[in-house]
Amino acid sequence: MNRPRTSTGQLLLVSLMGLAVSVVGCHKHPDDKPTVALIVKSLANEFFKTMEEGARAHHDQHQDEYDLKVIGIKNETDVTQQIECVELVMAQGVDAIVIAPADSKALVPVCKRAMDAGIVVVNIDNKLDADVLREKNATIPFVGPDNRKGAAMAGTYLADRLQRGDEVAIIEGAPNAFNGIQRKQGFEDAMQAAGMNVVSSQTGYWETDKAQPVASALINGHPDLKAILCANDSMALGAVAALRDAGKGRSVYVIGFDNIAAAQRLLKEGRILCTVDQHADKLASFGIEHALQMLKGEAAGVDQETPVDLITAEML
Amino acid sequence: MAGDYLGMVVALLALVIVFSLSAKNFFTATTFRTIANQIPDTTIVAVGMTFVLIIAGIDLSVSSVLALAGAVLGIVLVNWGWPLPLAIVVCLVVGLVCGAVNGLVVVRWRLPSFIVTLGMLEAARGAAYRVTQSRTIYVGGPLEAITDTTILGLSLPLIGAILIVVVGQLVLSRTVFGRYLIAIGTNEEAVRLSGIDPRPYKVAVFLLCSSLAAVAAVIRAARMSSANPNAAIGFELEVIAAVVIGGTSLMGGRGSVVRSFFGVLIIAVLGAGLAQIGAQEHTKRLISGCVIVLAVILDQYRRRVRNA
Amino acid sequence: MPPVSNTLLTVAGVDKTFPGVRALAHVDLDVRAGEVHALVGENGAGKSTLARIIAGIDMPEAGRMLLADRPYRPKGRKDAEAMGVRIVMQELNLIGTLSVAENVFIDRLPSRFGFIDYGVLNRATRNVMAQVGLDRVDPSMPVGSLGVGQQQMVEIAAGLSRRCRVLALDEPTASLTDNEVSLLFAQIERLKAEGVGIIYISHRIEEILRIADWVTVLRDGKVVGTREAAGLDCDEVIRLMVGRDMVKAAPALTGVRSDLALRVIALRGGDKVRDVSFDAYRGEILGVTGLMGSGRTEAMRLVFGADPREAGDIYLGGSERPARIRTPKDAVERGMALLTEDRKAQGLLLSLSVRANISITRLADVSRLGWIDSALESAAARSYVESLNIRCASPEQSVGQLSGGNQQKVVIAKWLYRDCDVLIFDEPTRGIDVGAKFEIYQMLAALARKGKAVVFVSSDLNELMAISSRIMVLSAGRVAEVFEQGAWSEERVLSAAFSGYITAD
Repeated sequence: MNRPRTSTGQLLLVSLMGLAVSVVGCHKHPDDKPTVALIVKSLANEFFKTMEEGARAHHDQHQDEYDLKVIGIKNETDVTQQIECVELVMAQGVDAIVIAPADSKALVPVCKRAMDAGIVVVNIDNKLDADVLREKNATIPFVGPDNRKGAAMAGTYLADRLQRGDEVAIIEGAPNAFNGIQRKQGFEDAMQAAGMNVVSSQTGYWETDKAQPVASALINGHPDLKAILCANDSMALGAVAALRDAGKGRSVYVIGFDNIAAAQRLLKEGRILCTVDQHADKLASFGIEHALQMLKGEAAGVDQETPVDLITAEML
Repeated sequence: MAGDYLGMVVALLALVIVFSLSAKNFFTATTFRTIANQIPDTTIVAVGMTFVLIIAGIDLSVSSVLALAGAVLGIVLVNWGWPLPLAIVVCLVVGLVCGAVNGLVVVRWRLPSFIVTLGMLEAARGAAYRVTQSRTIYVGGPLEAITDTTILGLSLPLIGAILIVVVGQLVLSRTVFGRYLIAIGTNEEAVRLSGIDPRPYKVAVFLLCSSLAAVAAVIRAARMSSANPNAAIGFELEVIAAVVIGGTSLMGGRGSVVRSFFGVLIIAVLGAGLAQIGAQEHTKRLISGCVIVLAVILDQYRRRVRNA
Repeated sequence: MPPVSNTLLTVAGVDKTFPGVRALAHVDLDVRAGEVHALVGENGAGKSTLARIIAGIDMPEAGRMLLADRPYRPKGRKDAEAMGVRIVMQELNLIGTLSVAENVFIDRLPSRFGFIDYGVLNRATRNVMAQVGLDRVDPSMPVGSLGVGQQQMVEIAAGLSRRCRVLALDEPTASLTDNEVSLLFAQIERLKAEGVGIIYISHRIEEILRIADWVTVLRDGKVVGTREAAGLDCDEVIRLMVGRDMVKAAPALTGVRSDLALRVIALRGGDKVRDVSFDAYRGEILGVTGLMGSGRTEAMRLVFGADPREAGDIYLGGSERPARIRTPKDAVERGMALLTEDRKAQGLLLSLSVRANISITRLADVSRLGWIDSALESAAARSYVESLNIRCASPEQSVGQLSGGNQQKVVIAKWLYRDCDVLIFDEPTRGIDVGAKFEIYQMLAALARKGKAVVFVSSDLNELMAISSRIMVLSAGRVAEVFEQGAWSEERVLSAAFSGYITAD
């Protein structure tokens, strides 16, 4: 059998290719500026679209400092495709990867491989799972907002307008997303502290169309419901539509998260009570700057918290 | 005729009774008001889909055409500031163009409509992202007048949807056009050899289906107060399911618009009921899947008994 | 020829009926080892049916068969093949997307660990193909990319490559060139030498006289005679094939020929129709016949615009200018009708009502502003149900539930309702019972008397001769001859039908 020999040969070939890539990446133009890859989720999602535009704006102002590649996946939950994206930019020999992972756990191994190949990796938006990171013995700095804190701020603002013991419901983000879980916990912290009765907490998968039937069922099943806390603004839009469908107008408070363009109009018209701005446009820039500093050896690989702000009608 | 619908009415009532007993607050005015407000867009597209299935075709692109037409509506209203009636006209033109492309490609290159509309499903969705820059466009006020107008307690979209169902059924069963569609779905070659060119009729059906999707886009945008490029993902399968539950054959030649309407009602009641008894997404999908297949098996059995 | 009788296969008293048709009646046949036994007869005489029964594809209703003196009762084609009886059928049995090699060895692909061993497969195939002279064909080529003749050789090669005791070849040479035929005959000689008994079905009489040892002539499912091939000639075979009673019940039409209704000049299209020109007049029934594959049906489809034609002009109603007929719609608008050969696939809307099937050709006349007036439509349907004596529960019954004869009457009704000037009937009496046949003859005659031009395509010579004003015979895609009433005989029509296939010596 010549099989073992073949695989040794293949291994050799692959490592040679890897060597070639790293040679090209590191030594071809020693004075050249570094390349940063920004890997986000779906560019069809408004939040990431905003993030991308923020990154491009940042790049326009710092063109002589670095080159930027932005890569998005088609479907927000297509974890496999995002892993392939990371492998692709590794092969292209980028110097740093700034990633908003589609899955908190599944992306850890490939990020670890990138780090082992000498690439700086910075995690934004959705935090990678701490247990998996520990298990893989990897430290990847997280640059992003404290979602739990932001959600708690919104929840507290809402609680001031309710009576102790009022019925409220939560519409969660995708159940496997860390930021979704964080927001849910933030809402729960605030509701518990104010003594509200959380009658139900269900996922709306981040989408208007999925959140709307969930909201309808909550509204119709709980006639005394006073508020719906949504983990993003798209789902808040679905909740607002469900209230209109049920003929309940503005008798139920809706709160959102992300401060998308549509949410500002909803705020002005009083259809949603408040939302949370985590500055999506700056989020990527924070991550890129952190990566650039790490490349220069100026920043250690530690987490960096970015600001979150409560947005209400009065502020507009 | 009445016997034709009896089974579906019974199934519908059974669902209502089961959910009324099992879910608190299901049997309330607000629940039915919610359902009544949520079915018009599905119903209208289901009418178009019934026509497409009758000629032995399929239109997978309705969801994306709906999203694109809605997106254009939003852009025209908000960014261009055009008046609502004109914006609606533009929205319908988008539907017509998509339908014309579907129909002409199917006829000209003799491709299966499955393939052509699968392409349109992707292309129109891409176009929707493109025109909106992937952003939800909030329209609000002027558009909401459509859903807020009521006549005798029924909302304008619901009245429109019922009207389209009635007209659709009459066209199908009473007009030369409808007869040709049924004949084409039964045996296209025999129709051709009878001296009737099936092609214009096939194009017309795809035009009709996409324009109805555009009409649904207006209603949906009004209901959501906004135009969302991510709207209605997976909606095409919901519509096809409703039409098939109504007993329309995927093989063509047989179908009823009124029965499709009952299919929409059954799916809507099932969805609302399951959500209200607290079923999670996975349970809902599991049960909906079983109901679709079960409904078709029952329909087959019903026809066998009637023919015997 | 060895005088010893070593009968390999005996068929005795075999009966077979298909719905409405007696296909075989008490048929006897002996096939000896190392000899070729040819079956000849008109279309529908029962040759293919007999071969299919021997190959285990159809089951006989009565009679028995012996294979090497032991009872032979195959349960199916596979079972027959296991006992060494094989058939190469008229219709190609190949899968176009698979390679030549995969087709030849479809049921015994050589494999290793479940993977096809293409080395072994392609080598074996090359051997097999070399036997039929196709050594230049790449075994890994998809069969669909070969020409029809080569495909037929592949099919034959597949049959020849398997060991067998009895081999039935049903019209193997229909689309072969002379060269390919010679190669086939060389293989048949080889099999004869190996002691295989061969059943050979063909329309080409000179071919049969070349290769066969025995000839059995079938007519209407009965054996007319079995002769030794040596000492037979073409004329004698044809004489045996014909010569039965005429269909007396059919009305004889006097040849009152008035105006020209349809003139077809130099029609060509597809691979069947090479050059067809003819005239049809008002008030006559123009009979059209030819062997299977002679291009009868195809020519009529070209005239009607159902298939695109490559050349030829069509003139209607004596006009000097050719009519623009590109689609059936054009043809119908210009007063033509085509009743297709395959009524279920091309003529009827099976799941729809009798009413809807009849009114389809003229919906505009039973509707106002696009809305169908159901009273008018039903009245029209009812009148044809009555006048054509269509037996159905009501005009609302679906056509699929009617008998073949009544289905055919519905198709006729739809064209009568359209009121066309030129009506082409392609095999209108195929597969329907005698009573309905007679009614259809009456309808055709009545149409002609009303001044319509009726073109009547049929493979049944008796009915053609009974009701036609003239008979046009097609052979190999060309008009072989047109007979005036009285000038024809069954023998003359048949020899005209064969004429295109007899190569000029």
